[in-house]
Amino acid sequence: MKVEIEFDSSWQDDFLEKIDDDGPWGVWNLFKLAIEAEKHLIIPEFEGLQAPKHLPNLTPLPHQVETAKQVIENMNGKAILADEVGLGKTIEAGLILKEYMIRGLVKKVLILVPASLVTQWGQELNSKFFIPAVTQKKSYVWEQCDVVVSSIDTAKRNPHRDIIYQQDYDLIIIDEAHKLKNNKTKNYEFVQNLKKKFCLLLTATPIQNRVEEIFNLVSLLKPGHLGSETAFYEKYKRDSRSLNDNQHLKELVNKVMIRNRRADTGIEWTKRHVETIAIEFSSSERELYEAICSLKNEGDWLQTSAFSVMTLQREACSSREAVFYTLKNMLQKRENPSMAFQQQMELLIKKVEAVQTNSKANKALELIQNIHDKVIIFTEYRATQLYLQWYLKQHGITSVPFRGGFKRGKKDWMRELFQKQAQVLIATEAGGEGINLQFCHHIINFDLPWNPMRLEQRIGRIHRLGQEKDVKIYNFAIKDTVEEHILKLLYEKIELFERVIGELDEILTKLGIGNIEEHLIDIFGESSSEGEMRIKMENLSSMIEFADSMKEGGSQHAAAGNT
Amino acid sequence: MQQQEIHNFLLQYFQANDCPILENKPGYITVQLTVKLDKELMNRPFYWHYLEKTGGIPNPMKLTLITDHNAAPNHLKGESIHFGSPRLHQIFASTKNLAKYIRLYENHQQGTQQTPLLPWLCMNVKISYQCDRKRDQFRSIGLQLIHGALVENFHDRLLQIPLTPKIPDYSFTISPLIKPKSGIVRIEKYLKSLIMEDDHTWAEEAKQRWEQDLRLLDHFYEDIEGENENYETEKQALQEQYEPKIKISFINGGLFYLTEKMI
Repeated sequence: MKVEIEFDSSWQDDFLEKIDDDGPWGVWNLFKLAIEAEKHLIIPEFEGLQAPKHLPNLTPLPHQVETAKQVIENMNGKAILADEVGLGKTIEAGLILKEYMIRGLVKKVLILVPASLVTQWGQELNSKFFIPAVTQKKSYVWEQCDVVVSSIDTAKRNPHRDIIYQQDYDLIIIDEAHKLKNNKTKNYEFVQNLKKKFCLLLTATPIQNRVEEIFNLVSLLKPGHLGSETAFYEKYKRDSRSLNDNQHLKELVNKVMIRNRRADTGIEWTKRHVETIAIEFSSSERELYEAICSLKNEGDWLQTSAFSVMTLQREACSSREAVFYTLKNMLQKRENPSMAFQQQMELLIKKVEAVQTNSKANKALELIQNIHDKVIIFTEYRATQLYLQWYLKQHGITSVPFRGGFKRGKKDWMRELFQKQAQVLIATEAGGEGINLQFCHHIINFDLPWNPMRLEQRIGRIHRLGQEKDVKIYNFAIKDTVEEHILKLLYEKIELFERVIGELDEILTKLGIGNIEEHLIDIFGESSSEGEMRIKMENLSSMIEFADSMKEGGSQHAAAGNT
Repeated sequence: MQQQEIHNFLLQYFQANDCPILENKPGYITVQLTVKLDKELMNRPFYWHYLEKTGGIPNPMKLTLITDHNAAPNHLKGESIHFGSPRLHQIFASTKNLAKYIRLYENHQQGTQQTPLLPWLCMNVKISYQCDRKRDQFRSIGLQLIHGALVENFHDRLLQIPLTPKIPDYSFTISPLIKPKSGIVRIEKYLKSLIMEDDHTWAEEAKQRWEQDLRLLDHFYEDIEGENENYETEKQALQEQYEPKIKISFINGGLFYLTEKMI
């Protein structure tokens, strides 16, 4: 077979000129060293990984090395990396990128990740992989820098978009690629138009369920691998639920996708220690809570939703500040409030004012002082967050706030402050996603979210690969309140806290319980008696238990599906 | 590359560039850079520009490189060097850059007898076989510029010969019959013919992978009428991904004047 041979002759003129001018010539010792250096850099084999040799400070896990090798040698550098959460997809992608760079196959790289992870990706590539990745801040980086990390939302907008389309990328990496499952979106179109010589799609959740989503994702990576659109849907029904229905399709997908499962990797995970701390209300707090509960039975409240009462109840378990904030909002929103409504409100506000201490905050303070180490406090409410920050400061404890709404730079800054200076990080719910805080191993759940997935994400911030210590989780629950019900009836029953990350995700998707929170509001709001509530809660938890046992009994294919 | 090899390499590099070695202890070295090497390695063009404009006294930096943290003192400040570190690769690149072309004479011991030295053209190259994967090969070729003899592993042979940059006493060089320019062409032709005879299964396989993906692509777009920009982009990308190519790149080379019997 004839292969094109390219002979580099760019040096010839230079050389001939030196001969004509008789020098200047190089030194023999350096000349010899140059050959020695080159011999070390030469890679005599197509197969095998060079990257680990270049990364003495990184100890990749066996499954990560194996994945990198697979992608390069058997998948031709186009793959979906769909490991279960926390197995180090970033490391795998980094290894592949490094390998291609060492071999000189890849120079120009575009890495698209969620905005909250841009800085982290940049840092990891620089510090762990010695890859000079630049985070996108100015529009000229696209042209001037070889490895750029950016959020997809920035990249798809002009002026960036047009410049990006003019670049010739060797490798494109997309984190959280499951967001591209819909081929009608702007993001999908943007990625589809990129030239992809080599391409890695990273997805945290398995492409579950719908065959349509799988088709879209694979077609992005390797158009035609699953056939053309019409042919594909002729063969597989569009609304078909699961990949597992079709062995052939599963095999096809597995050719472009690697999914390592926690159980197969044999990694020792640090333990979770869960401690539930039951707290008694002070008498004034109890009065406020009871006053809110009694609202349910009063006429004027029937027309407002059960939701508001439920919210107030939960807030009363968190802080008086949270209650006050909501009350104020309710008063402002209502047009022409009736006398009765106003009186009710005033009564409640009086009760709020009567509360002088926060039992949970006292307990939290005591705990933090005993722990004497970094602690993350999670709360659902911003008012509570502000209060806690003030309260801790009164007692000489440094803390930093964290919210999902913070801009990327501020998030990074807060994380940095927490790591280097403050003892406590106080995060609201939205802060649960997008940052890794492995250097900390204590979590206080100041109040409990009603969606177990959100709780999972909270814990997942610190209980992940790289966590070296056992993780301690403290759950606060006020006795004889909705909070205690949730904790006892739901979380403890399904052993949520003892599970490893990712498991619950599978169970809930399988059950098709999309919004567990709605179920709970329904149970608490609509039940007419304590007994009814208990029964409904038990129903829910047994459903989850059932799905769990199904999972254990079910097949253990390392396939695309979620069984 | 072992840490000890790296240590020796660094030492030789700085010595060859006339940098005073301030300390050379197990696990680390400290060198005083010369102005030339400071400019080459430290990446501070503004400082040098400023200095040249103001005519100040140049103050090149000292550099401490740690090759083994266990052996080096605990509180030593310096850069860690390992095989993958950017600094080492910068030094590799600089080595190549500083000694691309060379001319040397054999330092023979023939006494007062007039000795002819024959011209050799030496080329050290890297041959890269590239598709969606890549491998390289090092080759060192010597061409005698009188009667055109070709010698493989030329560099290894040179290592056995005492060489000097100045022509030794009682020696004279014979001018080449083959001009260096046509010498290069001869070596190029030789390398190409050599490569042609190679086993190219790797290229066949790459082509098969390419064709297979191309078929899938065609199939994917067959429903879509008319010209499609994405299709063209994807097709282009496949070519860049798989197309087998062989590249011969130049590492360094030069002229060597050697006695007749040496090679």
